Amino acid sequence: MSNATTTPYQSFLSRHFAVLLIAACLVFIVCLVHLFGSVMVQRVVIEALIRIVIVVGIYIFTGNSGIISFGSVTFMAIAAYATGWQTCCEMLKPITMSGLPSILRDNSYPVYVSALTSVSLAALAAFVVGLILMRLGGLAASISTLAILFILNVSYSNWETVTMGTASMVGLPTYITPWIALGAALIAVVCAWVFQNSARGILLRATRADEVAAAACGVSLYWSRLIAWTLSGAVMGLAGVLTAHFLGTVSINSYFLNLTFLALAMLVVGGMKSLSGAVVGVVVVSTIVDMFRRLEAGVSLGDTTLSLPAGTQELVLAGVMIVILMFRKDGLMGGKEFCLPKRWAAVRSESVTSERNAQ
Amino acid sequence: MNQLAENSLETRNVHVAFGGIHALSGVDITIKTGMVQGLIGPNGAGKTTLVNVLSGFQKPTRGHVVLNGKDVSGDGPQKLARAGVGRSFQAARLFQDMSVEQNLMTAAIGTGLNKADAIIRSREILDWMGLGHHGAVLGGALSYGDERRISIARALALHPKFLLLDEPASGMNAEESQNLMSIIRAIPAHFNCGVLLIEHNMEVIMGVCEHVYVVDGGRSLANGTPREVQDNPDVRRAYLGEEDAAA
Repeated sequence: MSNATTTPYQSFLSRHFAVLLIAACLVFIVCLVHLFGSVMVQRVVIEALIRIVIVVGIYIFTGNSGIISFGSVTFMAIAAYATGWQTCCEMLKPITMSGLPSILRDNSYPVYVSALTSVSLAALAAFVVGLILMRLGGLAASISTLAILFILNVSYSNWETVTMGTASMVGLPTYITPWIALGAALIAVVCAWVFQNSARGILLRATRADEVAAAACGVSLYWSRLIAWTLSGAVMGLAGVLTAHFLGTVSINSYFLNLTFLALAMLVVGGMKSLSGAVVGVVVVSTIVDMFRRLEAGVSLGDTTLSLPAGTQELVLAGVMIVILMFRKDGLMGGKEFCLPKRWAAVRSESVTSERNAQ
Repeated sequence: MNQLAENSLETRNVHVAFGGIHALSGVDITIKTGMVQGLIGPNGAGKTTLVNVLSGFQKPTRGHVVLNGKDVSGDGPQKLARAGVGRSFQAARLFQDMSVEQNLMTAAIGTGLNKADAIIRSREILDWMGLGHHGAVLGGALSYGDERRISIARALALHPKFLLLDEPASGMNAEESQNLMSIIRAIPAHFNCGVLLIEHNMEVIMGVCEHVYVVDGGRSLANGTPREVQDNPDVRRAYLGEEDAAA
């Protein structure tokens, strides 16, 4: 048999090629930016890396379960506010957020402690919400996640003594460098990859493909979905912390429908059934959005400045989505992961020996 | 508890009604380990409904499903699958965008195995069925005959005590059908389980089954050895029609 000649190294490379390629590309880009990029380019790359965390966070649940989540941004907001409460200016908090408990109002905490606690809070919130929502399936589950987003938005918009309502919380330390954003993106990508290849991930993808057949295989929909939803919530929390400390401000309107639909557009364009698709979607959509954003702002050509009308980027993005959905309904990656060329790949996708060694 | 109850899957006076339509009316069957039994009946007789009841997909309106002496009438399909009731479907229902090996692994993991052991079990079953070369192929890329065989392999990956096969040979040509039947004949001894084979093709049933149940109009019509069933005038009437049977 052919796989008898497959070395453990080849087998490992074959099985994990997609995540290794994605990681290598991200590291390469950040190295380039670090060496040659201007501050402006660095900010663009940081934004793109944060978007990867967001889209991969949504992918962990939506991609594996097949249930489109409109509410994942909720957990970004929860973590962003949590880290804001812990790290923003001690002088302002008693005035602008007098309703905070004194342990938050009168103290500030190190940024990494606040990041850890905020991500944990987002994961806990996702778990509690998931205990109820994951009993639902299909469209009912999708709409109920949207309801969660609305509940949070309305609550935080009106909880003025704690969240400052619709005003922006300012004064957060801005410590997100391209390397930190890269680290977070790698954590998100590796988490997603490990999950989708785990026993639970396989079960969840089976429920995505055919719930009835999965039930006949003894698969519990509820627990498989709850685990993915909670992990997704944690990664979204990480994205919330990154966004808050990249911008230095937190505003509830930043975590609502615009961000939700932009992230889902990225997932749809790349293909929501694969991690490679999620990352490709971010790259393609970010490129379109940033390119047209600059064109809208105006490009100088000698003495004249040419600019596109406001809203062009949204129209172009919508057009691209329609074209992709018409010709590649499963997105650019068609639900497939990046893989080694066939002549290098192992014949069998997984080696028992390597599995055992990995455990 | 008698020996039969400890190694059997039974329906006792099972009724299933969908609104005013009675799909099953007081059906009793007993599936025993170590043998292949058949379930036959004309179209609309209630065969698939009975399999759905046995595998937890359909709750009986009245009556009981008893697994190894324990009433499992209220248990869902996941619980029954983990308790040892495996099934295939009329349509193969493979996980199309997962590999054949992952299709089987899903069932093996569903019974509580870890991933490494699930891989081993999946490969053992595929090799036993002569399908080892299909392991890395996507479920959606298989031929019709292979799809059907893989769906049986997936049910076997549960290591079931009772395996319910819903028309596994439908759409297969004679040679494919013969090959499949030789595999089904070997399953009880190899996996120490009982098989209930639902099939239209009487030749297949007669060639494989040691005991046959016949249902018609949602009622038990007859049961016995294949020869007894074949000679039963009620069965002939149900299959051939009143006048043809008399002739």
